[in-house]
Amino acid sequence: MIEQIRNQARKLLEDGDVDVVIGYAEGSDPSRTTPVFIRKAKDVDKLIYDPRCINSLPLYLNKRHEYTRKGWKKTAIIGKGCDIRAIVQLIAENQLKRDEIYILGVPCEGQVSHPEKWDGSLHDGNRATKCIGCDVMTPHETDFFPGTKPDVDRSSPYEVTSPKVANLMELELDKRFAFWRTDFDRCFKCYACREVCPHCSCNVCITDETTPSWIDPAAHKKGVFSWHLTRAMHLVGRCTGCGECTRACPMDIQVDLFNQRMKEVVQESYSYKPGYSLEDKHPLITYQVDDREDFIK
Amino acid sequence: MKTATLNKSDIGKCIDLLLQSDLRVIAPRLIPRLDEDGTDSIDVLTFTEVDSGDDHQVGEGLLPLNGVKEFLFAKHEPLFAYEKRGKKIEIIPVHHEYPQTVIIGVRPCDAASIASLESVFSDANAGFEDPFFTERRSRTTFVTYSCTAPDASCFCTSVNLAPDSAKGSDLHLTELGDGRLHVEVLTEAGEAVANKLETLLEGEGDQAAREKAGATVHEKLTRLRNSAPIMDWLMDTANFDDEMWERLGEKCIGCGACTFVCPTCHCFDIVDENKGSKGYRIKFWDSCQFDHFTLHASGHNPRDWQFKRYRNRFNCKFKIYPEKFETPGCVGCGRCIRACPVNLDITEYMAEVAHKAANPNAMKADPDFE
Ligand code: SF4
Ligand code: SF4
Ligand code: SF4
Ligand code: SF4
Ligand code: SF4
Ligand code: SF4
Repeated sequence: MIEQIRNQARKLLEDGDVDVVIGYAEGSDPSRTTPVFIRKAKDVDKLIYDPRCINSLPLYLNKRHEYTRKGWKKTAIIGKGCDIRAIVQLIAENQLKRDEIYILGVPCEGQVSHPEKWDGSLHDGNRATKCIGCDVMTPHETDFFPGTKPDVDRSSPYEVTSPKVANLMELELDKRFAFWRTDFDRCFKCYACREVCPHCSCNVCITDETTPSWIDPAAHKKGVFSWHLTRAMHLVGRCTGCGECTRACPMDIQVDLFNQRMKEVVQESYSYKPGYSLEDKHPLITYQVDDREDFIK
Repeated sequence: MKTATLNKSDIGKCIDLLLQSDLRVIAPRLIPRLDEDGTDSIDVLTFTEVDSGDDHQVGEGLLPLNGVKEFLFAKHEPLFAYEKRGKKIEIIPVHHEYPQTVIIGVRPCDAASIASLESVFSDANAGFEDPFFTERRSRTTFVTYSCTAPDASCFCTSVNLAPDSAKGSDLHLTELGDGRLHVEVLTEAGEAVANKLETLLEGEGDQAAREKAGATVHEKLTRLRNSAPIMDWLMDTANFDDEMWERLGEKCIGCGACTFVCPTCHCFDIVDENKGSKGYRIKFWDSCQFDHFTLHASGHNPRDWQFKRYRNRFNCKFKIYPEKFETPGCVGCGRCIRACPVNLDITEYMAEVAHKAANPNAMKADPDFE
């Protein structure tokens, strides 16, 4: 399969159809892979694809990465289904135009959550939670796909939410708060959870604003809670569930539990899940008379 | 140097004895998780305060996620409080507690990093003293523990350290492989701790067995880099604009993960947290990987793009630091490698520089990059 991808990437670069191919290459130790930008046809053999390729590469298509993107008129990108959801959302948010990219879709059986858990194969013990109920293992929006795409029904069910979200929601409020207090105690506000998110697009994040300073920048309880709650709210209806924020957190704080819960709220309220169709209307920027409003208290 | 042996199984008792002497004890601990049903978490080992000898992971696991930095250089702390009264501003001192502390189970790389922080924060070296740091430092004793199982990201031996190094230690423990620990008492503070543990320490240590145990661990390190040519290459200002920086740094996304987990990174910012007419002036961790780190009020930013920020981090570790101080800029703990979400690996830069120093016109990662 990777041979077909490499061949297509080679052809695209040779024909001058794209300036760069964004994909995965071997990382600096056997359990890791790394994003790679291939600019020359002869380098396409660096491209790899296996269950260690969990990174969401569409991050680099966000306008925030304008310097990296400079000179790339047309970009090819290797995309798993969830990455393509991120791409669709980036297009919806005008970060990117559909004709600026060429999507090399790849089938996906799931990805390993952490390099520490890579033991040579993917199994139930190391599969990322986002992959357990994934409904885009065969990607939905592609320009090239090795083999033929089976016609899959994506109408239901919604992708599975981590069981931890349900566990948390069952806890009494004070216990739930205690959970976050313990975890947030480790947060030192490195903002890896923000920088790795394909949809954190702001050139100046609200937490970095100084006049006025909306969110205390220090990593004390107030600074940390206000940062995380704001981050979660800013991604409502936009988060495509890539789980990168949790994966990137060097203190292993599962910040995407917030985003997963908000995803449920959006699904319950608007039967909407972001990143599936270029034709979608986005609930937070469209109004319909039958919109429910009972959650506004 | 005084030596002794200690049973590894008695570490919990050691902790209890220290607690009974009214010391604050910090040790590696596993943080309990909400549940075990998801795979998206790893065991979270952190240095945390312990309240009993039953709950610790001294000598288990490799490196706690946080390191010991936050116990000397706080993640955030008030410098003073202030209150505006009419046209006058009153400065009100803030009381800080500096409890007498023992941090136990510190690995050699983390122990070596303490001197690096001291270089920046203490008077003798920097010509300036950060009283918050020095007060904590003078009340903290480090009980260190030789590594037995370095992982693929460790590279202490490439920066003149070692998995059994006792640098920066007050009291150093090394597993002898038979359930016993070799104990080295290295400073007065270490002696004071040893005295409290007297009932558990036995006779003289076995120095030969300790050296042998240490040497076997050296062989387990796989990430080996030659750091010797790096500083000279960086000192040549022409190399500051080498194309390698842009090519290697382009995937960096500018999170601060690598700097915040780094035991020697010490940058901080200061902000006024204001409420009406009063507030606190707060010092808190900052990172050169942030886009506003060197942003001037004029709008100009000398490190305007991310690869320049990463270039700064590398230069900070291997040029600026060694040029100014005698302590290491990087202790080879590998935390930045484990933490980086895009696998931008500092040792790849080290290898690239070593290659460049030998072949000025060729880039290792991309031989025909123009
Ligand atoms: S969410 Fe789906 S497409 Fe994405 S990595 Fe997991 S299984 Fe693959
Ligand atoms: S990545 Fe983790 S430690 Fe960093 S700001 Fe986010 S939650 Fe906090
Ligand atoms: S909030 Fe987290 S899970 Fe959602 S898109 Fe951003 S990085 Fe991915
Ligand atoms: S630069 Fe990386 S390896 Fe070196 S001390 Fe810092 S975190 Fe450790
Ligand atoms: S690497 Fe950056 S954050 Fe770390 S000490 Fe140097 S300048 Fe500061
Ligand atoms: S090197 Fe990695 S961890 Fe450091 S700022 Fe860049 S992306 Fe983040």
